[in-house]
Amino acid sequence: MDSAFYPAFLFVGCALGLACLMYGMGRVMGPRRAGRVKEMPYESGMDPINDARRRFDVRFHLVAIAFLLFDVELLFLYPWAVASRNPEGIDRAVAATQTAAGAMRGATDFSRLLVFGEVMVFIALLALGLVYAWRKGVFQWR
Amino acid sequence: MLEPLIKIAVLLGGLMTAAAYFVLLERWIAAWVQDRLGPNRVGVPLTRIRLFGLGQPMADGGKFILKEEFMPAHVDKRLFLLAPISILAAALAVFAVIPFGSVLPASVYTLFGQDAATVASTEGPVPLVVAPGVDVGLLYVFALSSIAVYGVIVGGWASNNKYSFLGGLRSSAQLISYELPLGLAILSVVLASGSMNLDEIVHRQADSGVWFIFTQPLGFVVFVIAAFAEAARLPFDLPECEQELIGGYHTEYTGMKLLLFLVAEFLHMITAAFLIVLLFLGGWHIWGLAGPDEQVTWVGAVGRLIVLHLKVTGVIVFFMVVRWSWPRFRFDQLMALAWKVMLPLGMINLVAVAIFEELSLALQSQLGGWTLAISLLGSWLVCLGAWFGVAYATPMIGDNRVRKDIHTYEVDPQI
Repeated sequence: MDSAFYPAFLFVGCALGLACLMYGMGRVMGPRRAGRVKEMPYESGMDPINDARRRFDVRFHLVAIAFLLFDVELLFLYPWAVASRNPEGIDRAVAATQTAAGAMRGATDFSRLLVFGEVMVFIALLALGLVYAWRKGVFQWR
Repeated sequence: MLEPLIKIAVLLGGLMTAAAYFVLLERWIAAWVQDRLGPNRVGVPLTRIRLFGLGQPMADGGKFILKEEFMPAHVDKRLFLLAPISILAAALAVFAVIPFGSVLPASVYTLFGQDAATVASTEGPVPLVVAPGVDVGLLYVFALSSIAVYGVIVGGWASNNKYSFLGGLRSSAQLISYELPLGLAILSVVLASGSMNLDEIVHRQADSGVWFIFTQPLGFVVFVIAAFAEAARLPFDLPECEQELIGGYHTEYTGMKLLLFLVAEFLHMITAAFLIVLLFLGGWHIWGLAGPDEQVTWVGAVGRLIVLHLKVTGVIVFFMVVRWSWPRFRFDQLMALAWKVMLPLGMINLVAVAIFEELSLALQSQLGGWTLAISLLGSWLVCLGAWFGVAYATPMIGDNRVRKDIHTYEVDPQI
């Protein structure tokens, strides 16, 4: 268990423990007097009409789907962002493959440019998707 | 084993105390903004000593503990309990990768009975972060702060109350919408620093002496606005909005469960302030305090700690002043801002940063020191251009009066 994550997991455990402890404290020390009116939903003093489990606006689903698409596409960009300026990243990988393949030296810059161009195309596609969703009225709330 | 436990204990204690006292600070600031006195009565119990109201958080905490622990009849009991506990645990656990200082010199080990000579030869400086080796730090922050969305929507759903349900729906839509610009702004910082470890990002700014707010002003603006929305602070506090939804998702919560939600909210704000400071404002760095971690003296270490926490407090005070001076958005304006303004701005910022980084890498050998000046100038021009572009375009986006050229009362064929 000698991983870098182990203190983080320990922290998660402690945080959960603290939250449960606080809740338990309130449970032990607080009074309890239930009552029929007290157990009703609070809706500004009116007797509630119907349950809250009802149909809701489909736009929330549209936003959720748009979010999923964009968020997953953003996740693709993270590896590039980390590798781009990192000395252990793109430059070294390109240099290593070129040495292994016995290719000509000095082609590193071109490969770098190629990666950059690909990412720009990717972002352009993302922007295109945004424009499409916009034109389709996904973000139109009335 | 002992080292992370000590850090966790310090951090948990500090965070809970900070959350309690920031409530007091917020009430003071509210009073100051509204030109009234604010809480100044509660001091030492059973005496007449008032201490400027510094006893208020203790009194509030005690009151919360002694409140009735009460479960309404109509709720989904397991989810109703799970929501506040999970949201608080996630809000706390984010701090596992957030540095709350720079480092302490290795001589701190001698306090725990280790021999000074062996310490000097074997141990490095002690990083002031619980999990220093986690290279995916920012992803971890992202992942855990997404759990807050679950806490809110589960709480709203389990309450089985229409106000709570509406609050939960709104907040899920809001939080996921603003996560995209947040991610884009973070992406450009990651791109410029080549790491997702928050400590490395601060080091990158400290080594060059140029904070990312200077090189990525547009990213800073996008990040701050998105962070406000993610923390559900006032211009974006639609999940709660006391006046409309009487508390939104925590309408049905009382006592300790409500306290868990409220503390988690304050922790979200503290997290956002930490992230703003670490990513854009140089973290513990101030000119003159730079240098490698191994050579930090006690004075330097404490200085870094103080600088970081002063910056964080400053950002939090900014959050609070904004809360008491701005009205709330309407929901359609909120969504329009997220998708039609912040997301495109985030993309523009990312592309601009990528181009500047690539250019400065290519031109470094020819221009030397001028590359920094050029990229600074360029990024500020981009920021200004974006500002004018938004100012020019938003009246058309935000205008939701009935348009004469569309029949708004028919079913919209586009949906």
